[in-house]
Amino acid sequence: MLMTTMTFDNTVFETLHRTEAWKYTNVSALSKIDFADGIGIDADEIQSFDLASNNPFVVFVNGVFNGEASRLVDGIEISSTNNNSLASRSDSMIPRGDSDSLTISGSHEKTIHVLQLITGSSPVACFGNVCIHAGEGEKVSIAETHVALGDQDHLFMPCTQVIAEKNSSVTLVRAIRGSKQAYHLGSLHVEQHESSIVQTHTITLGGKRTRNEVYAYLDGINCESNFDGMYMLGRDQFVDNHLRVEHNEPGGNSREFYKGVLDENAKSVFTGRIYVKQDAQQTDAKQTNQNILLSDDAEATARPQLEIYADDVKCTHGATTGEIDDEALLYLRSRAIPADSARTMLIFAFLNESLVELADDEFRAVLVDELLGNLPGGDFIQKLYV
Amino acid sequence: MTPLLEIKNLHVCVEGNKILKGVNLTIQKGEVHSIMGPNGSGKSTLACVLAGHDAYEVTQGEVLFNGIDLLELDADQRACAGIFLAFQYPVEIPGVSTKFFLKAAVNAIRKYRGQEELDAMDFLDLIEEKAASVKLNVELLDRNVNEGFSGGEKKRAEIFQMAMLDPTLCVLDETDSGLDIDALRIVADGVNELRNPERGFIIITHYQRLLNHIVPDFVHVLLDGAIARTGGSELAHELEEKGYQAFEPCGSGC
Repeated sequence: MLMTTMTFDNTVFETLHRTEAWKYTNVSALSKIDFADGIGIDADEIQSFDLASNNPFVVFVNGVFNGEASRLVDGIEISSTNNNSLASRSDSMIPRGDSDSLTISGSHEKTIHVLQLITGSSPVACFGNVCIHAGEGEKVSIAETHVALGDQDHLFMPCTQVIAEKNSSVTLVRAIRGSKQAYHLGSLHVEQHESSIVQTHTITLGGKRTRNEVYAYLDGINCESNFDGMYMLGRDQFVDNHLRVEHNEPGGNSREFYKGVLDENAKSVFTGRIYVKQDAQQTDAKQTNQNILLSDDAEATARPQLEIYADDVKCTHGATTGEIDDEALLYLRSRAIPADSARTMLIFAFLNESLVELADDEFRAVLVDELLGNLPGGDFIQKLYV
Repeated sequence: MTPLLEIKNLHVCVEGNKILKGVNLTIQKGEVHSIMGPNGSGKSTLACVLAGHDAYEVTQGEVLFNGIDLLELDADQRACAGIFLAFQYPVEIPGVSTKFFLKAAVNAIRKYRGQEELDAMDFLDLIEEKAASVKLNVELLDRNVNEGFSGGEKKRAEIFQMAMLDPTLCVLDETDSGLDIDALRIVADGVNELRNPERGFIIITHYQRLLNHIVPDFVHVLLDGAIARTGGSELAHELEEKGYQAFEPCGSGC
């Protein structure tokens, strides 16, 4: 097992919310917490997160690689050096630091499952560094699960960098699950080259305060990029999905499609910036944020930001905030389905549109389970899947 | 004998507008009643109030279903108790698969009745049996609820659901609207197959033609929120000949 020592200055969080990019996201509480290094945990606790025993599985506990629980294949490397050159291209203010780092290269037939566990009896802060390099024509799919265990104010700062060379295809799913007390401040940096295809899904179910940043640079012609997300939040939970997609070359086709359900006093923020450079003609960029609010205290904020310098482009953006369709609710209830189960069915239907796109069956099944576990009347629906 | 349904002096408002102004109706088990009336007479309002739609406010009157106060029950409780409404415009529900939804419905009712819930195999058998009665293609059931269904398919699907849920009171709200001759016949056959001494039907319609196929025991003419006239199935023919206006108070049909 590789060991790393961490130095981490948390004073930066004190005034972050005074900057424009963080104005809706106050994480100043983090500056007052004494964070510790984490410790290892038992293999049994890891077991329940091993979703697909035939797939490569890379496990990190508190930023430290756990070889015993992992299953590596060629093209997966662990090291203690971190190269953040792509991440430096962004203006992200999430601290970056050292951890055992994961590099994935080459084509892989099976989805590579990455588990990042954060745990400790007092608040732990750690980083997670992942680099994915898909060479020309290569194809890879990664499913990251980020889970904080227990009810401490843990802080996880993952940084994943993706370089997709010409004609390559990268699919990346990140699911934030587990403790609703933890902070997840994560970034995803994507550099695309000619005719590459990148698909990301960011799914937020856990965490007290989560910020998911996506920075994408379409540096080649005819790139295809789908940055999708989904969130289901309850009491005191907050998510800030912050995206910046840069069209630097012509012919790019991008989409930002985030949808979520907010219950009780949950809040979400969606900032979607699309930047189209002057020469990036024939760009087609779409941005959508759809929210369902289940209570009067829930709040969704959408900030579309379009910065367009080319003149032959298509850019659309839309945001909706609504309630559950009453007519559909009545229809289900008129067929004997109790009110809360009917409501859950409709919420689930709304969110499932995101999940259904996930090709990895086991991963999707686990997320569906967790989603239904969090919804009232959800167990009624869980049984129907059997 | 306790009537299956008793509506007594029912007054209903929606958004402050009075729609039903003292409806009286009694239905015994095994009977088929037709309610006919022009647009705006309150036919759909009556159907929705029976189903338990929240938007409709009952300002006066009583509805008893097998002797129990129906208005005290929520929509899903009424369905469990045995009421089924075949909607005039069945809503599309993206993301909710029909099979999934039906299984939830069937088992909710079975649970309420103290019956064992159906497992996957038995459920599929039941689907095939009931789908055949309205010539419904079972592949449609893999789709989301009513999504992409043609008008005729939606109406047949309502009757199929009715067959699946085994209700004691079936309310059909303008099931014939938008149907061609063949579809009408299929729907009528499906309904007729469900007629039995334990079950009652309320067939709401504008036009007489459906009633050639589903011959009612009683026909009621609903005008301006109240029943103006009641008769046997020949009343439907009379309406067809004379029109609704003839049945207005002081009209020649009174």
